[in-house]
Amino acid sequence: MTSSESHISKFNWRERAFPYLLVAPAVAVLLALSIYPLFYIIKISFQTGSGDAVRLSLANFTRLFSDSFFRDALLHTLIYATVALTFEFLIGFGLALLVDRPLRGRNVFRAVLLIPMMLPPVVVGVVWRLMFNPNFGAINGTLKSMGANTDSLTWTASPALALLSVIAVDVWQWTPFMFLILLAGLQAIPQQPYEAAMVDGANWRQTFFHVTLPLLKPAILIALLLRTMDLLRVFDQIFILTEGGPGFATETVSLYIYRAAFRFFDFGYAAAMSFVLLALTNAISYAYIRLLQRQETA
Amino acid sequence: MKTTASHARRSSLVRISRYALLVAAVVVAIAPVYWMLTISLKTEVDQFASPPRWFDFSPTLAHYIDAFSTRSFGSFLITSAIVAALSTLIAMTIGTLAAYALARFTWPKGLNRRLSLWILSTRMFPPIVTAVPLFLMMRDFRLLNTITSLVLVYTAFNLPFVVWMMVGFFRELPRELEEAAMVDGDSRLGALRRVVLPLAAPGLAATAVFCLIVSWNEFLLALVLTQTEAAMTLPVGIAGRVTQYEIKWGVMSAAGVVAMMPILVFALSVQKYLVRGLSLGAVKG
Repeated sequence: MTSSESHISKFNWRERAFPYLLVAPAVAVLLALSIYPLFYIIKISFQTGSGDAVRLSLANFTRLFSDSFFRDALLHTLIYATVALTFEFLIGFGLALLVDRPLRGRNVFRAVLLIPMMLPPVVVGVVWRLMFNPNFGAINGTLKSMGANTDSLTWTASPALALLSVIAVDVWQWTPFMFLILLAGLQAIPQQPYEAAMVDGANWRQTFFHVTLPLLKPAILIALLLRTMDLLRVFDQIFILTEGGPGFATETVSLYIYRAAFRFFDFGYAAAMSFVLLALTNAISYAYIRLLQRQETA
Repeated sequence: MKTTASHARRSSLVRISRYALLVAAVVVAIAPVYWMLTISLKTEVDQFASPPRWFDFSPTLAHYIDAFSTRSFGSFLITSAIVAALSTLIAMTIGTLAAYALARFTWPKGLNRRLSLWILSTRMFPPIVTAVPLFLMMRDFRLLNTITSLVLVYTAFNLPFVVWMMVGFFRELPRELEEAAMVDGDSRLGALRRVVLPLAAPGLAATAVFCLIVSWNEFLLALVLTQTEAAMTLPVGIAGRVTQYEIKWGVMSAAGVVAMMPILVFALSVQKYLVRGLSLGAVKG
């Protein structure tokens, strides 16, 4: 921020308090509804028992280590995040490269590809229940009409396919996000480095690895970080599609926290798990914020 | 001659396969949504037809009428609209004032920078993490099952986004404009209202639309905070029906189509700022 406001600081204290008054309501709302809940959750994560019998202990945290539901939920979350992120990035990047050249109808294409991403997650759940349904779903119906035997293809109802099915839905919905961010990144790359590479006689591969990728790195990192944060907290679509089932085959950490808190009313244990999830996403958001800061100063 | 001909043939092959891939992507993106639309318009006989009927069926509006006049989806729709509008309005007002202060004033020791990063960091909490304490807080304040609780929670959720976006938009405006207005006798707030806000109008509008989309789509916190029909938003209403054993698929789809329509209109209207909004201002597309 540059100077040029020195004349303002000459005014009296009311003038100087003015910016603080402007941010005060925002800070108050965030303290009450974001920061206070955070302390609240730390507090109850150390509590066991209820009513008058409530006492402080580490029991909720030690329980995490011996709870196979938690271990599975963590595993599902990590598989979900890794597989979805990989496919979303590769497909999204591929599409962005295809579109980042003179193309008739680019804007139409971009607008259409937005649709899955903007849909309410609950509607995405409904859409894919209609696609996956073994009786009248579009996928099995189409396969059957082509002569395939679909008896064992029950998608979200089958323990073996359920996790893959919900991952596929995520890839369907969020690949456009990768596509959009990476396309914007590609289009922000100036022409000169490409021209220089061409003068040097670089082939397609050399240009891609030595010009495009390095210049696209900030956009790639931002897209990956934002997406990872969202993937680690996934809840909505899985809740609609399977509610964590069949059995617990698609239960992620968020769904398990929900089950512990609002089915068993075990708030202390839910808080302890929330704490772990928060730590997991914090590392990533910290990296994201650092990156943003670097972008800003650059 | 021969090499140029084969070269031309190869490049047109590349072009055709490029378009083919893009068309395939469009079909994959659209077909599932279109399928829901057809289910919402089909009679039960057509819904269960095999092979699936993508185009040839006789459309009916019966499911829409069923959902919105005989069932409670009309009331869910109104709740959703009220919650989205109010929370957006409050977050925009509070957030824009804060953003203006952060973008325009000199703060001691880089305080404005630390403050805006702190504000941004509150946006990073996973919703399920705040869901448990917010549920307990709202229970203590007897605000469960009220629209007020949702408006409060969504305001807090959208606020960091508004601040972060509007700081970016304000910084793009030359500060000489409002200084000129102040020399002409306007107060700070007068200059903000008469000069800065009109110039930032496209940014304000885009930011507000993003808030509307987020509030309209939000599911988890609404699920946790409202259990009575009177306070349910559309996503919670739909979810409550989907997870029951006997599902009316036509009604479900009709509700889904109605929940999706305003979002599509909104999304198209902010296309220009979409990348910027999605990356919290980090990538200016």
